[in-house]
Amino acid sequence: MQRFAWWLGVVTMAGSVWAQEPTTIAVIPKGTTHEFWKAIHAGARKAAEETGVNIIWKGPLREDNREEQIKVVEDMIVRKVNGIVLAPLDDTALRAPVHDAVRRGIPVVIIDSDLKSDRYVSFVATDNREGGRRGAQRLAEVLGGKGRVVMLRYAEGSASTMNREEGFLEEIRKHPGIEVVSANQYGGATTETAYRASENLLAPYKKDGQLTIDGIFCVNESTTFGMLRALQDGGLAGKVRFVGFDVSPKLLEALQAGQMDGLVVQNPYRMGYLGVKTMVAHLRGEPVEKRIDTGVALVTRENLDTPEIQAVLRPALEALR
Amino acid sequence: MRWVGRLGPVIGLVVVYGLFALIAPESFTTVRNLETIARQTAIVGMAALGMTLIIVMGGIDLSVGSTVALSTVVVAGWLQAGGSPWGAMVAGVAAGGLVGAVNGVVITRLRVVPFIVTLGSLLVVRGVAKGLAREQKIDAPASWLEELLAVLPDEQRWMVVPPGVWLMLALAVLVAVGLRFTRFGKHTIAIGSNEATARLCGVAVERVKTLVYTVGGAFAGLAGVLQFSRLTVGDPTVALGLELDVIAAVVIGGGSLAGGEGSVWGSLVGALIMTVIRSGCSQMGLPNWVQEIVTGGIIVAAVALDRLRHRRALAT
Amino acid sequence: MSVRLRMQGISKRFGATVALREVSFEAPAGTVVALVGENGAGKSTLMKVLSGAVRPDAGTMELDGQPYRPRHPLDGRRAGVAMIYQELALAPHLSVLDNIWLGNEPRYRERRRHAAAALAELGHAELSLDARVGELSVAEQQMVELARAVATDCRVLVLDEPTSTLTRPDVERLFGLIRRLKAGGRAVVYISHFLEEVTEIADRVVVLRDGEVVGERPTAEWTIPALVAAMVGREVRELYPRSARTPGEVVWEVDGLAVRRGEVVGIAGLIGAGRTELLRRMFAQRNWRARVGMVSEDRGREGLAVRWTAADNVTLPRLPWWVWPRQQAARAGRWLAELSVKCRSPWQRVSELSGGNQQKLAVARLLDAEVEVWLLDEPTRGIDVASKAEIYRRLDDAARAGKAVVMVSSYLPELLGVCDRVAVMCRGRLGAARPVGERNEHEIMLEATGVGGAP
Repeated sequence: MQRFAWWLGVVTMAGSVWAQEPTTIAVIPKGTTHEFWKAIHAGARKAAEETGVNIIWKGPLREDNREEQIKVVEDMIVRKVNGIVLAPLDDTALRAPVHDAVRRGIPVVIIDSDLKSDRYVSFVATDNREGGRRGAQRLAEVLGGKGRVVMLRYAEGSASTMNREEGFLEEIRKHPGIEVVSANQYGGATTETAYRASENLLAPYKKDGQLTIDGIFCVNESTTFGMLRALQDGGLAGKVRFVGFDVSPKLLEALQAGQMDGLVVQNPYRMGYLGVKTMVAHLRGEPVEKRIDTGVALVTRENLDTPEIQAVLRPALEALR
Repeated sequence: MRWVGRLGPVIGLVVVYGLFALIAPESFTTVRNLETIARQTAIVGMAALGMTLIIVMGGIDLSVGSTVALSTVVVAGWLQAGGSPWGAMVAGVAAGGLVGAVNGVVITRLRVVPFIVTLGSLLVVRGVAKGLAREQKIDAPASWLEELLAVLPDEQRWMVVPPGVWLMLALAVLVAVGLRFTRFGKHTIAIGSNEATARLCGVAVERVKTLVYTVGGAFAGLAGVLQFSRLTVGDPTVALGLELDVIAAVVIGGGSLAGGEGSVWGSLVGALIMTVIRSGCSQMGLPNWVQEIVTGGIIVAAVALDRLRHRRALAT
Repeated sequence: MSVRLRMQGISKRFGATVALREVSFEAPAGTVVALVGENGAGKSTLMKVLSGAVRPDAGTMELDGQPYRPRHPLDGRRAGVAMIYQELALAPHLSVLDNIWLGNEPRYRERRRHAAAALAELGHAELSLDARVGELSVAEQQMVELARAVATDCRVLVLDEPTSTLTRPDVERLFGLIRRLKAGGRAVVYISHFLEEVTEIADRVVVLRDGEVVGERPTAEWTIPALVAAMVGREVRELYPRSARTPGEVVWEVDGLAVRRGEVVGIAGLIGAGRTELLRRMFAQRNWRARVGMVSEDRGREGLAVRWTAADNVTLPRLPWWVWPRQQAARAGRWLAELSVKCRSPWQRVSELSGGNQQKLAVARLLDAEVEVWLLDEPTRGIDVASKAEIYRRLDDAARAGKAVVMVSSYLPELLGVCDRVAVMCRGRLGAARPVGERNEHEIMLEATGVGGAP
């Protein structure tokens, strides 16, 4: 009995110490296993270290499951964290728990994807339209301002990639020498579907083992990689100017081998970092911007080894080590 | 001895809750937390009402998660097409009931074991849900359905928990009474205890089975309506693997996969135990991999303890 | 004759209940000692002590004069004590050879030779070692178990209710095997409820009651009434009661068998002759709704939901839409009391009751449903004498009250004792039902095997 009382004491003390923590911020990603989210985690930790706050990193128990993410948000509200940094899996479904948090006096910063609401403190994410524009600029640059180009879309209804597509088309039209010959094909979510879509897209422009188009733009990892595979299998890689979006070891290889001319990459590390920083600033009563762009970087063969680009590509792994 | 048996899962719940309450008294013992736990349990609890009947009958339904997803899609689709919220609710429940009825008919007429039939319908129903939704979530106009399981606004705090939770509790009473006091309930238990005996004693085994699967499906459909209330969209990918949570809840609550045993209250307590563990781990900020190991361990430990107690009770 | 097995002063308690009290028991080499007693008398506990599954609180055991202290059933097997239970312990998907050596693997080359020698000793060298056990008849499967005992050089062989699933010719064949084993110098312990069979095969009979030995004599000095009296502890005046009953009108005619009110009609025949199928066909035509009830031959698998309660099992065929537990318990409780079923409450699980009490529940179900026609398939298989007597009394009461009773049984003394008329079934064909006065066991056996019989 005495022993039990002792344990009771220890546990309650531990509990009360834990409850007296300074500022605690919950960071809730869409999932926890992908490289992208690990980079966000690293950035968030860096910001927490710098500002002296605690962060709780907690993703949905089942990857990409809306219901599970709602539960995590609810748990954090009950846990009475000081602020929530959330990458919502759905722009509608997460609205109710976010509004609930705000009503309970817990401010919310949205990162990565938008939420159909105006009650959050700030939206910290890549400016995808700008990303599309950067891709267009690079393609125009390597084409010397003239040629025939195609764009492979991702999927209907995906807001982030649609913004990239619009940004690309908007910018490329500023170059009168460049003609967009196809921009209505969708690659889909897997490499396999993207590969097939790429073959179908390229087929009408093939003549005597050569392509009658000069440039290609793809809007995310799966479409870029699918297109790359299609080009490689057709022996066409390197014979056409090709700019893609997002990064993976295979794509970097292709870039180094001269099969690609540029990759527009997001900066998840910075997204996590700025998400937490913005929250802390808000909690300290400082004014913050409603929309914060975490920027995109253009990776090319030439700048691949520069410290700036390496800082974007590698921070996740290094910070986690 | 009988009441100790019935109290087993409750003791488990008290222990698990007490543990988290000791670690985090400030947040875990608040009314607010209890309400959150109740809301988070409602969906699994609702589906567990039907699953209890099915498991007591010696069956199994693996298609529950998919049925929930289908129901959210049907509800959202109905609302999007301009239908009334009541109509959407009925449509969601009917969709679930239809899935259950098909399961039941295939099991009884084609004599395929329920595990295989519902393993098949797990995929078929998920496919139908995705197809209906054209592989996207369906946005629906706002309606009172969204408030079934939403956090109560301050002027309605007298309800303590949202209407969806009350609905689940009311139906739990109905199912518990039905199982204990009606011929249908007794026939369900009889089939689970020994199907051959039930047949010998003139129970219309095929009819009862089909009916139980239909009712189970309807409960999954209703769970889908509650799921929609939380998501506010129709999501064909939601509730992936939910059937395992539901089955675990029933089994923790004293249900036996061999049939003949299980209670509605036990199942609800089982569902609560799972929510408390999940929510406690989550509030403590434990990484997901730790949480999964803890949950799995507790499920096996709870059921193993129950069986051990059972054997002792039989021996004395 | 040397004493193979000697058990002395064996006592065992489980909690507050005394299962065995100072039991002493001897089995000389080359003899068959029968162990009889009602369910719960301590037979199975004593045999568990012998096998090593249960350790006694007091007492010693010797095998051939050497101390024998098994800690585990494996110790018992290694010391040469073989147990054969009513439920055969065989793997149906394995061959005869593999089953003989299951859990006891000798060197590969000797396997076949030893196994074949064991079958030869049992006089059944013709059985293929490579046949799959699941495809053999029950009697042949039993022989595989016996061969296993022989092949592993058993010194003491325990047979627990070996004949309850056998027909008479198979029983005789089994007895032939037992006599061969006995001649080989083994000590055989034979446990059975069938007292006629016990007096036929055993050299000595030991009677257990309430954990104590209440009688031990050479078989010749026992009579069946004396055995029953020793087992039950009082005189059972009539094992087969038969009050004056007058057959009424014919209520049903199936396959030429007229089922009359106020009469018990018996169906004899070999297993597989189609008797069970006949009852099933009848039950498929008319069931509970037509006031016809049935008792299944397989208590555990079909007759009762053993994991459920006694009350639910008894009242299942006739439940109202709304079931009040109190009414249900009252209904069931009445029958439990009338049939003197030993249980704590109507809500006790059936599996906790003895076989005899379980079977009484199956009969109580017919009483509760107030059926007019009783279909009974082997209603007394494997149950104790007192329960049998209770069931016979119920059949008599039912017939006297004007119900019609059809009973299938492989146990001829029972058929001749209880029925008014007996028909014999042979290869799916039902013979004429003739009054028991004109019947005897020998003549029924001839008709059942298709040799003789009614015109």
